[in-house]
Amino acid sequence: MDTLPLRPASGRGPLAVVRFLGLVLLGAILGAIAALAAVAFVSAVLALNDLLLISPRSRMMFDHPGLLLAATVAVPALGGLVVGLLHRAIPEGRPHAPADVIAAVQTRRGRLPPRAGGLSALSALVSLGAGASVGQYGPLVHLGATLGSLGARLLRLGRSDDNITIACGVAAAIATAFNAPLAGIVFAHEVVLRHYALRAFAPVAAAALVGYVIATNVLDRGALFHVADTAVPRPWEFVAFLAIGGLGALVAGAYMHTILGVTRLAGTLRLAPPLRPALAGALLGLTALWVPDILGMGQETLRFATIAGAFGSAELLLVLVLKVAATGLCLGMGFSGGVFSPALVIGTLFGALCGSLVGQLSGAPQETFVFYAVCGMVAVTSPVIGAPLTSLLIVFELTGSYALTTAALASVTLASPIAAQLFGRSLFDIQLEHRGLDLSAGRGRAVLRNTPVTEQLTEECVTLAPQTPVAEAVTALCRARHGEGYLVDDRGRYLGCVSLADLEAAREAATGPAQAGEVATLARPVLHPDTSLWDAMAELQDVTGEALPVVDPAADDAFRGVVFEASIARAYLAHSDELRREEHGTG
Amino acid sequence: MARGRGNRGPVSVLWLALFAAVPGQADDDALTVLSWGGAYERAQQAALFSPYTAATGTRIEVAQYDGGLDGLRRAVAEGEVPWDLIDMTRSEAMAACAEGLLEPLSPRLLAPAPDGTPAEEDFLPDAFGRCAITHSIFATVVAYRRDAFPGTRPDSIEDLFDQQRFPGPRALQRTPAVNLEWALLAYRVPHEELYGLLSTRRGLDLALARLDELEEIHWWQAGDTPPRLLAEGEVVMASGYNGRFFDAMVNRGVPIEILWDGQVQEHETWAIPRGAPHPEAARDLLRFATTTERLADLSRHIPYGPARRSAAVRVTTHPDSGVDMRLHIPTHPLNAERALAKDEAWYARTLGRIQDYFRAWLAKREQE
Repeated sequence: MDTLPLRPASGRGPLAVVRFLGLVLLGAILGAIAALAAVAFVSAVLALNDLLLISPRSRMMFDHPGLLLAATVAVPALGGLVVGLLHRAIPEGRPHAPADVIAAVQTRRGRLPPRAGGLSALSALVSLGAGASVGQYGPLVHLGATLGSLGARLLRLGRSDDNITIACGVAAAIATAFNAPLAGIVFAHEVVLRHYALRAFAPVAAAALVGYVIATNVLDRGALFHVADTAVPRPWEFVAFLAIGGLGALVAGAYMHTILGVTRLAGTLRLAPPLRPALAGALLGLTALWVPDILGMGQETLRFATIAGAFGSAELLLVLVLKVAATGLCLGMGFSGGVFSPALVIGTLFGALCGSLVGQLSGAPQETFVFYAVCGMVAVTSPVIGAPLTSLLIVFELTGSYALTTAALASVTLASPIAAQLFGRSLFDIQLEHRGLDLSAGRGRAVLRNTPVTEQLTEECVTLAPQTPVAEAVTALCRARHGEGYLVDDRGRYLGCVSLADLEAAREAATGPAQAGEVATLARPVLHPDTSLWDAMAELQDVTGEALPVVDPAADDAFRGVVFEASIARAYLAHSDELRREEHGTG
Repeated sequence: MARGRGNRGPVSVLWLALFAAVPGQADDDALTVLSWGGAYERAQQAALFSPYTAATGTRIEVAQYDGGLDGLRRAVAEGEVPWDLIDMTRSEAMAACAEGLLEPLSPRLLAPAPDGTPAEEDFLPDAFGRCAITHSIFATVVAYRRDAFPGTRPDSIEDLFDQQRFPGPRALQRTPAVNLEWALLAYRVPHEELYGLLSTRRGLDLALARLDELEEIHWWQAGDTPPRLLAEGEVVMASGYNGRFFDAMVNRGVPIEILWDGQVQEHETWAIPRGAPHPEAARDLLRFATTTERLADLSRHIPYGPARRSAAVRVTTHPDSGVDMRLHIPTHPLNAERALAKDEAWYARTLGRIQDYFRAWLAKREQE
């Protein structure tokens, strides 16, 4: 039997330094690759939007009103069809997304499949290019993570290092897309790794930095927000920002549940899965003929929402509701894309709505309008992606405004806890929970829940046929030096567990049972082949004995072997130790 | 679109028509250049045409126009093109090229820089069109009277719309172009999103709403109007061409100052019309007129930024006043910090509709 797999007590010394620096260098290289991929992705989306008459600029420059109307409906519908067909080539039949990255890292399964990742990126490109109301940051995160994982696989690195390279890809993608390196680093820690380790920090920081440098030199983009230097909110306005946070959490909840609800409904639709996104695209296009603001990522809508007077209050509400519905429709029916960009738009519209209402009620001039828009934005996005710090840092790095960040802080202070209590840590966590991965108690439990106990299965035990004479059974147990025997009938079915003590007692007693099958069995829980290490550990609490039998209910209660209590405890400790090493190790 | 630098109005168009018919018959060897007249033509005469005649002996006739493609369209259609070389704004050159009114031009035609740098690397990156080659950059800017706002001065394009801090009438060009851009910039929209936003009904309405807030606007059409309105004190701020304002400031001592923030840069190009009488000689003149030396000399006479880097660093002082011209050209780093590149591809496709929208708004505003 194996011993606790203790590796030499972590690296100190010159070799460890070199190894660690190598990891940092790898992070930088992966960061560069992920950043270039992100730049290419973003540019391709913009080019497609221009080509396919999705961007307002291309729509304005296209001077054939009839054709434009037709394209507005046809492009998202056909795009949906292409997306639907692409998804047939992915085993799960759905695009891979940040949730899959989180699952891979949190359960330490590590590897992200490159083929599914590539197909998902491609279908996201088509979705975004064809104007579906989905986000681009989710696909970028997944693309970066897939590249990171691929790098680790090519270099044959271990699980912990694989997790770090995934985080590097994620950080670089965010740093590039937002032009915000700190947000990239924090996002990788807050959403993907979910722990803070110096060992992970340095490579991730290197990746984000490289991404940022590439972004500033290649992508020429305007900051998301601009603030008048003179505007400083009055003290009472912070109360309004807090309130926006509380209400924003509810908007975020409505948004998340729209997506989840449509996903459920789409599953019951009597329509072939590849046709579902096409239907969603057609519906989106038809609605866009009336309200074009909902088409695509909504860059222009986002900008207008930060300008006082660009929308009337009723208009803000209308676009807000339609954008929630459009995004739910697109994502639920199977378009590939992220949830962040639409959440940015929805949150900003919501903040703008609050801002204009406050303006109307207080009659104050609207110098601080943009504060409301940003507070709404943070209040909705942070619960959706489960990343309050990242949201704040994005605001800070994009605006460089301390006043604005403070206002956003007020808003996120209420938004995050309310949403976490009412809905869950993030949309990703809710999606994973629906798929059977519960991350609410942290990584330790998730890992143990995903480790099948059969890893520790052994057949090194004494099985007894029920008709075995008691004396023979005692002899067999004594020879094998086991205190327990397992009754298995001639069809291989598990019947129960008898102890050596009971058998001995039966042998001594004159009137007792003569066969092993007649001896009273012990109250002993059984494990199944899919029982997790976590559940096995829970079963152990009420057991004193040496092992738990594993029985396969799928094969008529066939006896598969036993798992020794000591193995369960040892595996538990080994996994905990590995996590501890990953989370607290320095190199 | 009327682009005002010449002495203009219906009279000059008539004169152009007369003039254009004459030179072909008078002197078969002379080249005919179509340009903008005024101080601009005088500068071209001094820096480009006279030296060319001196060097080659070929005489150059200059015809004048106010921009616009109607004349060229008609001439090409009738097969009677009187001009060899035309000085055009890039947006009009792009439109004319798309209509097949111009000869294609290759950058290989151009002379290298004095240090041997090939023209492709020496010119600004977007200087080469299919049928036109940028030679100078001019800018539409805002100028204001120095004495209008005691104790303060406008320092950003937003101030054009700030009637509280900078009260007084404004003069703006009677076109949507530039005005819409500035109005939207006043909402602190980043430059690179400007045309995306202006492509939506909401963006256009926002821009026009900002313009509507201005109480008194004098709408100008001819390029010499804004400096005059400023000189006469009719307005306190005016949009206009940087060359015109320079002329008023330096040559006539008008107390105005240029606000470079938000300047809208446009390219002035050379193009050869299809069916030009002397296309080969025209190419030779084009090559001569875009050498580093000639472009640097042109910028000494009129404050337009040379399209060649090697020329930009050779710009010196104004020949008459001795003013350091580098500070007055739009491409000087200090002036170009927040310059806006006009999206000419966008205008080429949307101008008609944008103009209709602008005119409808103008009509409504003037009714009220």
